[in-house]
Amino acid sequence: MEKNIKKYFPAFVLPTFISFTVVFLIPFFMGIYLSFTEFTTVESATWIGFENYIRAFTKDENFLNALWFTIKFTVVSVITINIFAFSLALLLTKALKGTTFFRTVFFMPNLIGGIVLGYIWNLLINAILGVFGFDITYDADYGFWGLVFLLNWQLIGYMMVIYIAGLQNVPRDLKEAAKIDGASSFSILRNITIPMVMPSVTICLFLTLTNSFKLFDQNLALTGGAPARETSMLALDIYNTFYGRIGWQGVGQAKAVVFFLIVAIIAFVQLKITGRKEVES
Amino acid sequence: MASITLNNIKKTYEDGVTVIENLNLEIKDKEFIILVGPSGCGKSTTLRMIAGLEEISDGELKIGDKIVNNVSPKDRDIAMVFQSYALYPHMSVYKNMAFGLKNRKVPKEEIDKKVMAAAKMLDIESYLNRKPRALSGGQRQRVALGRAMVREPSVFLLDEPLSNLDAKLRTEMRSRISMLHKQLGTTFVYVTHDQTEAMTMGDRIVVMKDGVVQQFDTPQMLYNHPKNMFVAGFIGSPQMNFIDCMVKRKGENYFLSFGNYEIVLPNRMNDYLVMYDNKEVVFGVRPEDLSIVKGKDEVNSFDLYVDIAEMTGADYYLYGTFNDKKIIANVPSNNNIKSDKKYKFKIDIDRIHIFDKINERLICD
Ligand SMILES: Nc1ncnc2c1ncn2[C@@H]1O[C@H](COP(=O)(O)OP(=O)(O)OP(=O)(O)O)[C@@H](O)[C@H]1O
Ligand SMILES: [Mg+2]
Repeated sequence: MEKNIKKYFPAFVLPTFISFTVVFLIPFFMGIYLSFTEFTTVESATWIGFENYIRAFTKDENFLNALWFTIKFTVVSVITINIFAFSLALLLTKALKGTTFFRTVFFMPNLIGGIVLGYIWNLLINAILGVFGFDITYDADYGFWGLVFLLNWQLIGYMMVIYIAGLQNVPRDLKEAAKIDGASSFSILRNITIPMVMPSVTICLFLTLTNSFKLFDQNLALTGGAPARETSMLALDIYNTFYGRIGWQGVGQAKAVVFFLIVAIIAFVQLKITGRKEVES
Repeated sequence: MASITLNNIKKTYEDGVTVIENLNLEIKDKEFIILVGPSGCGKSTTLRMIAGLEEISDGELKIGDKIVNNVSPKDRDIAMVFQSYALYPHMSVYKNMAFGLKNRKVPKEEIDKKVMAAAKMLDIESYLNRKPRALSGGQRQRVALGRAMVREPSVFLLDEPLSNLDAKLRTEMRSRISMLHKQLGTTFVYVTHDQTEAMTMGDRIVVMKDGVVQQFDTPQMLYNHPKNMFVAGFIGSPQMNFIDCMVKRKGENYFLSFGNYEIVLPNRMNDYLVMYDNKEVVFGVRPEDLSIVKGKDEVNSFDLYVDIAEMTGADYYLYGTFNDKKIIANVPSNNNIKSDKKYKFKIDIDRIHIFDKINERLICD
C-alpha cells in the first residue's frame, strides 16, 4: 500500500514544483544574475561583476538616503503600531461594552488598499496643512510622520485582532494566582500576561517589520518621495531607479537584491529572538 | 489567628443568577474544613469569595477579627491552590515558588531559605530549575502546594486540588496534605466533590446543595447522624438504602410497615413519632447495618432476592430490588453467598434513620 503511493510521488509533487520553479525560482535567480550585468532587456545583458553594487552605494546618494529613511521609519512604526495595538487589545479584552463593534471598526482600515489609503490621507493631511499655508511635501519630516501615521492607522486594527486572540488565551487562573501572590496589575501585565502572549508578539513584530520595511503603495501615493526624493523609501527608490533612469536597470536590480537580503535577515533574526521568549505549554 | 466567619453571605453573578442565597459558616482557627457537594452547588464560588477573587453581593466575611469584604486578595493573608494548579508556565519551579515572596519585597536570602525548606518538605528539590511542563501531574501538584506554603499564610484555600491525579497518587497526596496541615498548623478550606476525600481529611465537613448548607459537622456525626436524606445519601459509599414505609402504632410500640414486613422501633423514638402515626415516612439504613440471618422467625428482617453479589475483598456488596427500589447490603465475605438467590436480611434497628417523606428531614435516629 505504502509502496503503491510512493510510486506516484512525482505525480503529486510535479505540478507544484513546476509552478514554483516557473513563477518563483527562475525569476529569483534570473534577478540575482541580472544584478551583475548591464542590461536594458533580458537578452541584452553583459556581465560587469559588482559594478552595479558599487554604483548603488557610491554614485547614488538617493539609495543611502532611502535606506536610512526606511530604517528610521521602520523603527518608529514598529514601536508605535505595536504599543497602540497592544494597549487597545488590553482595553477591549477588559470586558468593556461594545467590544465587537470596536474590533470591527479598528480592523476596517486594513481592508482598504494602500494606494487608495495614501491618496485619501494625502487629501486629508493637505487639507489640514493647507490651513497653515503648506502641504505634506513642504518638509521631509511632514512626509515621515505622515507615513508613520498612515501605516499606524492601517495596521493597528489588524495587529490588535492578533493581540486580542492571544490575550483571550491567557488562562484566568494564572492571573488570579498572581493576584493572590501579591502582584500589582502592572506586575501581572509584565510577568504573566506579556510572557504568555509572546507568540502573538512574534507574529505582530514580524508583520509590522516587514510591512514597514517593504512599504511602497502608501509611500507612492502619499508623498511620491517629495520633496526631492527625501521621503522615498527603499522600494520606491528601487522602482524609480529601475524605471526612471536610463542605463540604471542593473543598479536597480542590485538594490533589489540588497533589499531582499536586508528583509530576509531582519525577519530571520527577529523570529529567532522573539521565538526564544515564547512559552511552550 | 485565622478563623473565618461568613455571615449571611449572598452571591449573585453578573448575569443575575443567585447562586448562594444566605450562607453562614463559622470556621475555627487551625481547622481543616471541607466543602463538599454535587457539581454546581457553589463550592468554588464560596471559596473564591473567601479568596477575594469573587465579589460578595451581600453579607459579611471575616478573616480573624477583620471584615475583609473589600480587602484585595493579596492582603487577606491567604494562599490558594487551584484545580488546574495555575503554575506560571514560563517560570522555573523555583521562580514559581518565589514569585509571591518577591512581590512582597522579601530579601533574597530569606526567599531562598523559604523556597528550599518548602521544596525539601515536598520532595521537589531536584526539580527546582525545571519548567512546569517538564513535570508530572503529581509533581506539579506539589509545586502548587509549595507555592502556597512559602508565604506562610494563615489560611489555605484548595479547590479540588487532587481531581487531576490518578487514584493511587490521590491517596498519597491526600495523606501528604493532611500531614501538611498538621505541620503548618493553619486553617485549611478544601473543596472537593469526592466524599472519601471529605471523610478522610476534614475535621469538619460542610455539605452543600444548591448553595445551601445542608449540614456542618464532623465526619462521624455526618455519617451516624445525617440531618436529612440528602446528607444521608451523599455521605457514605455504597449509599444508604431508603425504603418507603408506614408508621403504625400498637399499644406502647411504634412499628414501621413495608410490604409484608414490620419492624419494631425502640421506645426512645416514641416521642418523635407521635405526629406520624399512620403516615408515610422513609427509613434509611446503611448497607453495613444489614446482615444475613438464617432463622425463620427472626424479627426486624425481610427477604431480598440478590441479583448481583460483588466480592470486594473483605466484603460482599449485595444488590437487590425491593418494592422497585435498589437495595445494597454490605456483608463480610466469610459468608458464602451466591447471586440469584433469596436471603433473609436483618436490620440493625439501633442504626436506622427515619425521615419525613415530604421535606426529607430527619425525624429521629
Ligand atoms: N462567572 C459566573 N457567572 C455566572 N454563573 C456562574 C459563574 N461561575 C459559576 N457560576 C454558576 O454558579 C453555580 C455554582 O458554581 P461553582 O463553580 O461554585 O460550583 P462548584 O460547586 O464548584 O461545582 P464543581 O464541583 O463542578 O466545581 C453554577 O451553577 C455555575 O453555573
Ligand atoms: Mg468548582
